[in-house]
Amino acid sequence: MIRVLVADDSRVMRQIVIRTLRQAGYDWDVREAADGAQALEAVRADEPDVVLSDWNMPEMTGIDLLRALRAEGFETPFGFVTSEGSPEMRAMADEAGALFLIAKPFTPESFREVIEPVLA
Amino acid sequence: MSVIAGDDVHAIAEEVFAAMVDGEPGTVVPWDGPAPTWAQPLVAWVDLHGAWSGRACLATELPTAHALARALLTLPADEEVGEADLVDAFGEMANVVGGNIKSLLPVAGTLGLPQVAPEAPAAPGSRVVTEVALAWHGRPLVLTVLTVPGAP
Repeated sequence: MIRVLVADDSRVMRQIVIRTLRQAGYDWDVREAADGAQALEAVRADEPDVVLSDWNMPEMTGIDLLRALRAEGFETPFGFVTSEGSPEMRAMADEAGALFLIAKPFTPESFREVIEPVLA
Repeated sequence: MSVIAGDDVHAIAEEVFAAMVDGEPGTVVPWDGPAPTWAQPLVAWVDLHGAWSGRACLATELPTAHALARALLTLPADEEVGEADLVDAFGEMANVVGGNIKSLLPVAGTLGLPQVAPEAPAAPGSRVVTEVALAWHGRPLVLTVLTVPGAP
């Protein structure tokens, strides 16, 4: 069972991400957060195996969430699932310690490609 | 700026609908007929800020937006979609389309949060860069990209 925290301000997108994770395979234990601040609290309360986060969210963005986690000493594997995948954003994500960035729209295959190395 | 062509927007829409909505390609084709008009319009848009500022809008009829939301949520055809899910789902479509349009731009910038309303607010000085009428399972949708000089 892989414990994943999915952070996205869109409930619909969280459902799509969760559905796609299940289509990608593996056995997921899913928790959800509606913004970066909720996700930060969720990790502090119970660190998951991996965090999948949107970038552009109210309250706290995904990149601010990642930086806050690293500043607090959490090394939780972290990936972005975002509608923007520009080289600048990929570089910023990489520099902050993200393992991958999946651009929306995505497929189960695109999840498998980036998740498998994390789980290896 | 002419970096965003109608073909690009159509290709983005095809990819978004294939991956997020229908699970298969070919469900979005060019609209064949007079320019669509709306009886009950619903518009979702995201603003792009930076050296290139503008807006990406997705417009359709309210019943089509409901059908899109049902498809995104994998709900049966006869199930009602609540207002919050409708706004969320339709806004997220515009958000993903806008994010992909942003990736076509040669300059960095930021993307605003998606908005949904019967019509988008006026954007003084805006200019249509490209407008594409599409048919999703025969239902019309219009994707418009605008430049908005000096948008906040």
